[in-house]
Amino acid sequence: MDDVNLNITNPDKLYWPESGYTKYDMLDYYIKMSDIILPYLLDRPESLHRHPNGINGQSFYQKDHEHLPNWIETHAIHSKSSKKEINYLLCQKEATLLYLNNLGCIELHPWHSTIFHLDNPDYAIIDLDPSDNNTFEQVIETALAVKEVLQQAGIDGYCKTSGASGMHIYLPMGGKYTYEEARDFTKLLCYYTQEKLPKLTTMERMLKKRGPKIYLDYLQNRKGQTIVAPYSLRPQLNATVSMPLHWSEVKSGLKITDYTIETVPNIMAKRKDLFKGVLGQSIDMGKAIEQLNNL
Amino acid sequence: MKSIWNGTLSFGLVSIPIKMYSASEGRTLDLDMLDKHDHARIRYKRVNENTGEEVAYKDIVKGYKKDDAYVILEKEDFENANIKKSKTIDIEEFVEETEVADMLFKNPYYLEPQKEGGKAYNLLRDALKKTGKLGVATFVMRQKENLSLVGVYKNVIVLHVIRFAEEIRDTKEIKIPTSKTSKKEIAMAESLIENYTEKFNFEKYKDVYNEQLLKTIESKSSGKKIKVEKMKSEPTAAKDLMAKLKASLEQRKKMAS
Repeated sequence: MDDVNLNITNPDKLYWPESGYTKYDMLDYYIKMSDIILPYLLDRPESLHRHPNGINGQSFYQKDHEHLPNWIETHAIHSKSSKKEINYLLCQKEATLLYLNNLGCIELHPWHSTIFHLDNPDYAIIDLDPSDNNTFEQVIETALAVKEVLQQAGIDGYCKTSGASGMHIYLPMGGKYTYEEARDFTKLLCYYTQEKLPKLTTMERMLKKRGPKIYLDYLQNRKGQTIVAPYSLRPQLNATVSMPLHWSEVKSGLKITDYTIETVPNIMAKRKDLFKGVLGQSIDMGKAIEQLNNL
Repeated sequence: MKSIWNGTLSFGLVSIPIKMYSASEGRTLDLDMLDKHDHARIRYKRVNENTGEEVAYKDIVKGYKKDDAYVILEKEDFENANIKKSKTIDIEEFVEETEVADMLFKNPYYLEPQKEGGKAYNLLRDALKKTGKLGVATFVMRQKENLSLVGVYKNVIVLHVIRFAEEIRDTKEIKIPTSKTSKKEIAMAESLIENYTEKFNFEKYKDVYNEQLLKTIESKSSGKKIKVEKMKSEPTAAKDLMAKLKASLEQRKKMAS
């Protein structure tokens, strides 16, 4: 594949023991989906979240790489906290994707910015993170409130399920703004959303103080922070996928478990990638603020 | 000299208002950190770990990590932990000076004999015990010369780091009124002290303050007494943020043009 030989180890290992999917099933999913997923990984430093023994086994994070095959591209970034260069892996082609999968990367965690402008994200994210006491119906309600705010601001947002319990809303930034600006802008949208749903949502960072509310998380918009990529599998019970959706699909009755290792490749055979607009374009932040200000 | 604490020194029915001053001062040379290029002073900033933004002193609270979340402690929580004790120095008993002399000092360290040192260690310990003397020693630890006293506690040789004389501030700045005490008064005070004299047993002294504080944390985290956070009203916060963003975007426009 891609002119390289890739050794796949333990393909029969049960990665989702409760639902019976193996490591092979995961590789099969990513082979089918690689054309759609790769644009969201290309040129982005990748943080590895490895589950070498499946979803119930120990998992760990890895950023730095020393001994990689020579066909895998890397990008060194200086880390202020650890005071050294971290050699990030770049997932540039299908073979690298499968190499990652073989290491136990069930889910994929790319940076929000590419190596061409590491300080300027390509998109900002509002992460709707429910407490254990919220239903997914309430998450849907919140997502629709965000959608209303986006309409008031006159900008397009793109939504996907997280594949776990929440939803992610992406706002294209096109590398035009800094992380701080993206974060502040997202925070602003969260204020407006919270005003619409004061009882259901919170911006309180402290877990204990949040209560049974949906956390509007704008703090994911930081350099080096990652969120699971669109179409990535999740180490969750039903082998769910973080699935991009059309806004018209975000309505009562939608379930996280509608989108899994089995259903998503079939759905994508019939429809186009709904997340395309996230990359390459940008909102006009100044205009959006003006519009919100004039409400 | 600035006092570091105000309160009352009390024993029996007597209470004496006092001010407390630090009796010692640091011995390290006062060096400033500078940028080597222009010799500007290096400043520390308190920043939010998540956003990297500076946090105003008034916005900083103290939290105790319990399970996966923080219980936030307010100023009152600290004061309530022990109102009486935080304002008074209670003398609870008097003991023979000799009983505690070797526990009085700054930092005690236990010394353990290494292999083959056992015999000499025991010899020195027994001799110190028998004579009731303390050894005076200097040694270097953490790039610092230390003065110390070597004594015995239970079965172990203990080293107490003490202050150098130059670290001890002069007492002349402490204002003591000149008043004569009569023999009768002295006798009364003496008998009072006598009545309160016990054999020193420092096990019976517990850190009540921390215990109280932990209780407060426990009740807060179990939700028995949840404090309502006074939050900045959202509209204002949103407007502030908007202004900040606008400024940032305008700055960029200026740089581009």
